Amino acid sequence: MTVERQLADAFTPPSRLTRWFAGWGRAYHVTLDHAGALGVLTWQILVSIVRFRVRYRDVLTQTYVMGIQSLPIVFVTASLAGIVTSQQGGYQIVSTSPRYLLGTLVVQSVVLELGPLLTAIVLVGRIGARITAELGTMAVSEQIDAFKSLGRDPVAMLGAPRVIAGIITMPLLVGFADVIGIAAAMVAANLDGGLGFETFLYGARLFWHNWDLFYGFSKAVVFGFVIPLISVHMGLRTSGGAEGVGLTTTNAVMFMILTLLIMDAMFPPLMLQ
Amino acid sequence: MITYRAVHKAFDKPVLRGVTMTVETGEMFALFGPSGTGKSVLLKTTIGLVVPDRGDVEVDGVSMYHGPKRALDAVRRKTGYVFQYAALFDSLNVFDNVAMGIPEDELARLSKRDTARRVWDVLENVNLDPHEVLSKTPSELSGGMKKRVGIARAIVGRPEILLWDEPTTGLDPINTAAIERLIHRLSEELKVTSVLVTHDVEGGLQMCGRVAMLEGGFLRFVGTPSEFRSCSDPVVRAFVDRRAAEAALDAMVETR
Ligand SMILES: Nc1ncnc2c1ncn2[C@@H]1O[C@H](COP(=O)(O)OP(=O)(O)OP(=O)(O)O)[C@@H](O)[C@H]1O
Ligand SMILES: [Mg+2]
Repeated sequence: MTVERQLADAFTPPSRLTRWFAGWGRAYHVTLDHAGALGVLTWQILVSIVRFRVRYRDVLTQTYVMGIQSLPIVFVTASLAGIVTSQQGGYQIVSTSPRYLLGTLVVQSVVLELGPLLTAIVLVGRIGARITAELGTMAVSEQIDAFKSLGRDPVAMLGAPRVIAGIITMPLLVGFADVIGIAAAMVAANLDGGLGFETFLYGARLFWHNWDLFYGFSKAVVFGFVIPLISVHMGLRTSGGAEGVGLTTTNAVMFMILTLLIMDAMFPPLMLQ
Repeated sequence: MITYRAVHKAFDKPVLRGVTMTVETGEMFALFGPSGTGKSVLLKTTIGLVVPDRGDVEVDGVSMYHGPKRALDAVRRKTGYVFQYAALFDSLNVFDNVAMGIPEDELARLSKRDTARRVWDVLENVNLDPHEVLSKTPSELSGGMKKRVGIARAIVGRPEILLWDEPTTGLDPINTAAIERLIHRLSEELKVTSVLVTHDVEGGLQMCGRVAMLEGGFLRFVGTPSEFRSCSDPVVRAFVDRRAAEAALDAMVETR
């Protein structure tokens, strides 16, 4: 066979129908593949924790990187979110409804939805991408192989500390975001429409359930687990040099954001019955 | 003893298509072959860094892929692997990189002083000046220095098996001699089992008791160095004789 012929064969496009089915088949396959691998990774992390293979110092370092270093960006996002909610709420509340409802609206939105979800999405960019790129670079430069060759377990040494740190820091960051968001909204409502702090807090208390706080923090724990888990998973399976690291990091960010949004949508039917 | 049994591995294309060979305990075994034939891949299958599609590897009679899961961990603990591109941990300095080569449980028992002593000694063994390099990070080292730190990390744990992926490629003649001397000494004095992948055919033939040639997914030759020198296979000839290499290259260009 001539080279031209071989090339032509290699590039003959399959029919559209074949491609359509192949596309769905591939998506199905890829989803199952990732789900399975995430399950295995979770199991390996659990085992490494139970066997005391995770170093306390690594967890501490990661907690610092994820927690303390994220405070500034979480502060900015939470206060802006609080201010916007307060202003839009103020605009929607017509003169007939009592003004304290603004307090209710803001506190409910922040605690149930904005605090956990916005903080999580900020952390996808700040932590998730970082972990994926870091572990991905280690994978393509054979450093992960080197760990294995030295009898060390990359999941225990690199994966578990990041996932544990995520579970610890996320609820704390969400708590911080809630406080900042509500405070910012209160100040904004005061400056904007002259709503007193007392009135605002009255509205907040009127419809308050402790369950809401639990609901918000449950989200935080789940998100704090999922973000590092997906990024560790994607990072460790990176291949294909610098380009591969870039591609995997982008994919990981998409994967994390989609997962967060889907999980966020699953919370109300599961917990707000 | 390391036994490779019909090891198959394909990535996009088949790389290993049934490699069978045995490396005896305490033996020094050299593996030659053209670039890209899968020497590194074969070496990695020894400790599960690459998992074969088919076939098996046995180390001291224990199967790596069809036996108990712990077997792989146990073998990794007694094996040192010298990576072709060093594969140093770039967030750690040279000291921590090398110390990582000491098995975890042993490291926990050793005093700080003894650990430092061990690291210092192996760095001297690979002809590096510990004063100069200990606190540097990998990005501050030259290619040849990285390579030697990688070797230090592989031997500091006192392994029984050493897998060398081109340990002397990219080193100057003096450092090459130092590393060859080290390989020789480890094998003579400590009876370490070594598999040496190298493009330095002359060095490999001089140091090793047996050599093999991997080409096209199969072993083209296994035997002693003197058999290798007198082998009539054109691919093998090309590795011993410069003129045969020229002839082989001409033949390749013509068929293209
Ligand atoms: N992780 C991988 N993914 C895809 N292909 C791979 C991978 N590792 C190796 N290969 C392919 O396997 C083949 C053999 O690679 P290998 O690194 O073992 O060659 P080698 O014999 O060590 O060559 P060299 O002497 O240049 O180091 C190459 O064609 C390479 O492209
Ligand atoms: Mg190689």
